[in-house]
Amino acid sequence: MNIYNRTVALEELPSGSRARIVEIIGRGGWIYRLYQMGLTPGVIVDVVLNIGRGPVIIRVMGVEIAIGRGIARRIIVEPINT
Amino acid sequence: MSRSTHKKEYEIAIIGQPNVGKSTLFNILTGRKAHVANWPGVTVEVHEGETYFNGNKIRLVDLPGIYGFSTLSLEERIARNYILSGRPDAVIVLVDSLNPERTMYLAIQALEMTGKVVIGFTKSDAAHAHGIHINYDLISKRLGVPVVPVSAATLRGIRSLLRSAIDVARGRAGRKKPFRIDYGELEPYVSSIESLLKQYEERLEYPIRWMALRLLEGDDDLYKYVRGVCGEDIAEEIARIREEVKKIFRRDPAELLAKKRFEYLQRILGDAIVRLEIKKGRFERFTRLFYRPFVGPVLSLTILLGMFMIAFTINTGFPLNILLDSLGMHDAASAIEEYSIGGLMEKLFSWISSWIINSFGESWLTDLVANGIISGVGSVLIFLPLIMIVSLFLAILEDSGIAPRMAVSLHGPLSKIGVSGHAIFPMTMSLGCNVPAILATRAIPSRSERLRLLMTLPFIPCQARLVVILAFASSLVSGYGALLVVLGYSAAFLAFAVVNKILYTYEKRKTGGKEPEIVLELPPIHRPLGKVLWWHVWDNSKHFLKKAGTIIFSLSILIWFLVNVSPGIALTDNPGESIAAVISHYLSPIVYPIGIEPGKAWIIAFALLIGFIAKEAVVETLTILTGTSSAQQALILLGLTASQLAALTVFVVLYVPCIATIAVIYSESRSVRHTLATIALMLGIAYVAMLITYGLSLII
Ligand SMILES: Nc1nc2c(ncn2[C@@H]2O[C@H](COP(=O)(O)OP(=O)(O)O)[C@@H](O)[C@H]2O)c(=O)[nH]1
Ligand SMILES: [Mg+2]
Repeated sequence: MNIYNRTVALEELPSGSRARIVEIIGRGGWIYRLYQMGLTPGVIVDVVLNIGRGPVIIRVMGVEIAIGRGIARRIIVEPINT
Repeated sequence: MSRSTHKKEYEIAIIGQPNVGKSTLFNILTGRKAHVANWPGVTVEVHEGETYFNGNKIRLVDLPGIYGFSTLSLEERIARNYILSGRPDAVIVLVDSLNPERTMYLAIQALEMTGKVVIGFTKSDAAHAHGIHINYDLISKRLGVPVVPVSAATLRGIRSLLRSAIDVARGRAGRKKPFRIDYGELEPYVSSIESLLKQYEERLEYPIRWMALRLLEGDDDLYKYVRGVCGEDIAEEIARIREEVKKIFRRDPAELLAKKRFEYLQRILGDAIVRLEIKKGRFERFTRLFYRPFVGPVLSLTILLGMFMIAFTINTGFPLNILLDSLGMHDAASAIEEYSIGGLMEKLFSWISSWIINSFGESWLTDLVANGIISGVGSVLIFLPLIMIVSLFLAILEDSGIAPRMAVSLHGPLSKIGVSGHAIFPMTMSLGCNVPAILATRAIPSRSERLRLLMTLPFIPCQARLVVILAFASSLVSGYGALLVVLGYSAAFLAFAVVNKILYTYEKRKTGGKEPEIVLELPPIHRPLGKVLWWHVWDNSKHFLKKAGTIIFSLSILIWFLVNVSPGIALTDNPGESIAAVISHYLSPIVYPIGIEPGKAWIIAFALLIGFIAKEAVVETLTILTGTSSAQQALILLGLTASQLAALTVFVVLYVPCIATIAVIYSESRSVRHTLATIALMLGIAYVAMLITYGLSLII
């Protein structure tokens, strides 16, 4: 397994990729909701579908979650090469 | 312990993350009918119910579905305060067997508050099919509380869940003290706060360690409470510790603690849960289509439209009759119309009416019963099958998990009018009834979006207004009837879109408001549970029947009197001299602009006035006023032109749906201004739209 040392926004990851969350930028109610849904730094997410428009569909701990692009832009991840 | 110290009555709370199957289980346990929805965050009220087990009475308290105890949303506060109040003898935390790692998060947080916990793994019937195998004993040993697999579908484990809950309530099972998670490098800070609080242990009402954790997480409510009890100095010291953690770890402490909890869960569940890879079902793969641009929204809209088409056809023959008619199969078309459920029921009611008059003779009493009550209530009751069918379809969409996918597919188009995909749930619900739909907006995360929806959701025609549209359509030649239905719904959605867009643009300009966002869990697609579907259908039918039996029934009596009694309190055969005519005389000018002559205008005005109370009443008012047995005959008698009918349909669809909706808008917004603004907005838009429709239809 080879971990890249660069980070990108979740929004930019293509379908089928896997990444580890590094940071969630911003404040407000949204962030706590994301934490509670298991989206905390260190957690691994799979991008189920990202077609460059509309919500990004990810899988975290076996659950699929649709995340709007505005929020996906604020989730900073580190891609994992498998 | 002697037997006599045993309470025979226990209060047991049920909590769980959204969608774990809490409502379904609660309904099974108590025989009550809480709304079951395969949609995160819908159960917002607290339900109570009772059940008996081995001679013990159990009062079950169903708390709102919440993800955790950190955001301090209204629902979380309700649940937290209740659990800490000391009232519950035991807390059942439900965990989804299909999604255990995530849904255990709430269980672990509950365990940090109290040791009196039972963990129930729901949907255990479906776990194996999803390749999930859970070692319940191991989890129970690690957490020190009972862990019980249950299924609302097969009823497995229900009794042992109750037995464990009673054991915990009696102190024979469960933990004596709340659970301690090791927060690793954060522990020194947690302990510092703990020792600050320790000095005040006597006066503090909640577990010390739990408070320390919550204060570190930044719980403002609790902070104020502690400042009140322990004084300014302690509070400042706590704030300082929190700042220090922020500085050293350069992270929000809330994030650090959430992360620790999930890591902890990983450790205790890692070898207790085995997940085998299961090939995704064909249907599951099909649902991916919803996420495609263009295809997704089209698919969603096609499903909704198709559903309504089928429902209409079964009930009224429409629009299949038109199709057959246009293909030249006139006999088949009229047969379908005649033998549709609605057609048959209408025959039945008019047969009963004439039977009563024939058997008991003509008197004011038989007239009241036959032409007042039976035709009034009957003209509305014939729509019961339609309501059952539409509810069934909506229930299937919801329970199968398709609805949240439709929300994702429509998020894009909807965000153009400032509404997120989250709104799809209240929007589809509105097609049934606006009242629960307005309650369902509580699950919408953005407050400003929610307030806009409170004002605009009532534009979406509920089944009551559908009843009126169909009644109006029935008086037209079928092709035009179909157009009228299309017109009604188009006007409604257009008004919904335009008003939302205007409010959103205004808000954006004023406060620089944000784009609508979505964060929505997509539960696995599954075959709907028969039980759950039936609850939905029965719930809606019961609501409708109750309304027909109470409001519509009383209104039909009231209307009959208003129409058959003159202001001098004497029976009159001429409705034109009745009280109704006198009242509505003042209102009639509102329909003059669409060319309705004064002689008939008062009848329409009176029906619209009664329609404020409940929309179905428009139909019954017209039938009673004209002394006919169906809206079709009534409208033919009134001799309205197609243009006038179109204009009236638009008005009926857009103006205030009913008193109940207004009441719930008020109770949800807690603002008289917001409620009055909604009424004014609806009336204004309905009136303008009516005039425009009339004008346009004259040109065409
Ligand atoms: N297979 C299975 N599905 C269930 C069971 N209980 C609930 N469900 C489904 O889970 C979904 C959510 O149910 P609901 O009771 O509304 O969950 P709540 O949000 O926690 O109240 C619905 O689609 C139910 O059909 C069960 O015992 N077995
Ligand atoms: Mg529910």
